[in-house]
Amino acid sequence: MIGNDGNLLVSARGLTKVYRLGAIEAPALLGVDLEVKSGEFVSIVGPSGSGKTTLLNLIGALDSATGGELRVLGQDLSGLNRRERAELRLKYLGFVFQSYNLIPVLTARENVEFVLELQGVGRERSARAGEVLNELGLSEFADRRPLEMSGGQQQRVAVARAVASSPKLVLADEPTANLDGENAEILLHMMRRLRDEYGMTFIFSTHDPRVVEHAERVITLTDGRVAKDERHAPA
Amino acid sequence: MIGKTIFKYAFRSQARHIRRTVLSVVGVGIGTAMGILANCWIWGSEEMQIRAASESGAGHLKVIPVGWLETRENSLRLSDWEKALAEVRALPGVKRVSYRARANGLLAFGNRTSGMEVTGVDPDSERVFNRIVYKSGIEGRYLEAGDADKLVIGREIARQLKIGLDDDLMITISGKEEMKSAMLRVVGIIDTGSRELDSSVCHITLSDLERIIGIPGPTEVSILLNNYKQIESTRRLLAQELPEKNTVITWKESAPELAANAEGDKAFMNLLALIIVLVVGLGIMSAQLTAVMERRREFGILSALGMPGRQIVALILTEAFWVGIGGALIALALSAPIAYRLASRGVNISALMGGVKSFGGVLIDPVIYGDLGWWVIWYAFGVSLAATIAASLYPAWLAQKIDPAEALRRV
Repeated sequence: MIGNDGNLLVSARGLTKVYRLGAIEAPALLGVDLEVKSGEFVSIVGPSGSGKTTLLNLIGALDSATGGELRVLGQDLSGLNRRERAELRLKYLGFVFQSYNLIPVLTARENVEFVLELQGVGRERSARAGEVLNELGLSEFADRRPLEMSGGQQQRVAVARAVASSPKLVLADEPTANLDGENAEILLHMMRRLRDEYGMTFIFSTHDPRVVEHAERVITLTDGRVAKDERHAPA
Repeated sequence: MIGKTIFKYAFRSQARHIRRTVLSVVGVGIGTAMGILANCWIWGSEEMQIRAASESGAGHLKVIPVGWLETRENSLRLSDWEKALAEVRALPGVKRVSYRARANGLLAFGNRTSGMEVTGVDPDSERVFNRIVYKSGIEGRYLEAGDADKLVIGREIARQLKIGLDDDLMITISGKEEMKSAMLRVVGIIDTGSRELDSSVCHITLSDLERIIGIPGPTEVSILLNNYKQIESTRRLLAQELPEKNTVITWKESAPELAANAEGDKAFMNLLALIIVLVVGLGIMSAQLTAVMERRREFGILSALGMPGRQIVALILTEAFWVGIGGALIALALSAPIAYRLASRGVNISALMGGVKSFGGVLIDPVIYGDLGWWVIWYAFGVSLAATIAASLYPAWLAQKIDPAEALRRV
C-alpha cells in the first residue's frame, strides 16, 4: 500500500548513485538530501553531468540508488523489486520526456488511452482521454499521429498522457529542450495550471532559464550534490 | 491481458518496416505452405499405403485365432467363426468383409512342382474385397460360389509349371495329421503385373480347402472400414465382442513391412517439415530480434510508463500473431492450388517405382492422391502462429528485460 508521510512526497537522505563501466566508476550523485512536498512546482537545474537526470530517474523508480535512502510516496524504493517499481510508476507517477517519446503508431488520443488501458481503466478511458486532450487544448489533434504534429503539440500530448490518470507526482526531464519559446511557455503554463487545479506535484530538470522562471523552488545540483535549494516567486 | 489499444499498437507496428514485415510474412507463408504440401503428400501417401495393404487382403482389421500372429501357423482356425463373422458384420462403419483359410501346399503338373501358400476363399466376398482379384487382369474367370475342384493361380506360377486354362493340377496340402492331395482344374490365371504376387496367388474355394485337409472354418476374417481413421476405435469395439480364443489385429500387424515403410516415409517427411518450420522460425526470430534492438528506447519508454514486463511480452507476441495470421493466409494462397491438384489428379509415381508394383505382398497404387481437407486451414493457422509466436518468445523476453533508465540514456 502506498502511504504518504503527511504532505511529503519525496524524501532523499544521503542519496548516491555510482555508475560502473567495467572497472571504471562514474559517480553521478554523492549524497543528495532532498524533500519535496505535495503540490510543489520544483525545478532541478545544473550543468550537464551534474546528476539532474539521474536524480529524476531515481525518484521515478527507473533506476536504483547505490546508497542512501529514498522514499517516494512513503515507499522505500530500495525495498521494491522490478515489478513493484513498474506498478508504482504506472499507478502514481507521470513522466514527460525530453524527446516526447509518444508511441508513433498511435494517435494522440490512443497514446493517452494506452496508459489508461495499462492502468486497467475500462470503457471510460476513451472519454477520459478526450477530456484531458480537450482540457489541454489538443482536441483538434486527437486523431493525429505524432509525426503529423509539431514538437510543441507532441510535448503537450506527452503531458496529457502523463496527467491523464491524475498521478500524484509528475516527473519531467528537460521538457522544453526541443521546444521554441512560444511552445515552452504554453507547456509551462499548462503544467502550472494542472498543479493549481488538481494539486499535482511537478519536478522537472532543465537547463532552460524560462522554465526556472516558472518554478517556485529551484534546486541546483553541482557535481552530484545539492549546491543550492531556493524558493522564489514564479513569473 | 491485451487491451484494444495494445492490439492496435501491435497491428500498426507491422507497418513501420513494411519491407521487413512483408518478407517475414512471406517467409512464414512459404514455410507453412511447404509444411502443408508435405503433410498433404505424407497423409495421402499413408492413406494410399493403408488402402493398398487393406485391399490386398489384410483388411483394415483382421480377426484371427489367438497365437496366429506369433506362430503364423496355418492349421489354426477361428473359434466359433460364424459368430465372429456375425459380430463383424454387425459393426458400424464396416464396408466389406471376407474370410479365408490358408494352408501350405505343393502344386504339381507333370514333373514340375511349385510350393506355395494355398488360400481358401469365399469367392463372392473375395471378388469385391481383394484388389489382387478385382484390379488385375485375369485370363479365364475367377472362382464362383459353388465351384468345386477349381483353382485360380498367378501368371508366374502358370509360367513355371507351363500350364494354361483347363489344365488339371495335383495339389498336395498338409492336412490335420497327414498330407492330402486332390486334382483341381485351372479356371483362371491372374496377372497383377507384379512378379512377386503372380508367383504367390493360389486361390481355391474355402469349402474345397476344408474338404481336402479336413479342418473346417476359416483362419481369418478381414474387414474393410468405410473410414480408415476409425481403425483403432473399431478394433477396441470388436475386441470386446469377439468369442474367446479369437483376437483382432490391424493392417500394420498383417503387413509389417509396408507399415514400417510407411512409418519411415512419415518420419522422414515430418522431419523435413520440422526443419522447414525451424529454419523459418529462426528467420522470424532474427527479424524480431532486430526489431527489438531497434526499438530498445521505445520499450524502455513503455517500461518507464509502468507497462509490466508480461504486457511487453504480450505486445511482442501480438505483433508476432499478426505476422502469423499473414503467413497463414499466404500459405493457404500458395499451397491450396497445388494441394488441390495433388488431391484431385494425384501424382503417378510408377516411374519412381522402377516397374515394381507390389511391396510385402501388397499390390501398390502407382498414383498417390494428396490428402486435402479442412485440416489445411487449421494447420496453416496453427503452424504459422505457433512458429511466429515461438520464434518471438526470446526477443520478447529480451524486450521486457530492457532497463528503462539505460534505454532512456541512449539517444
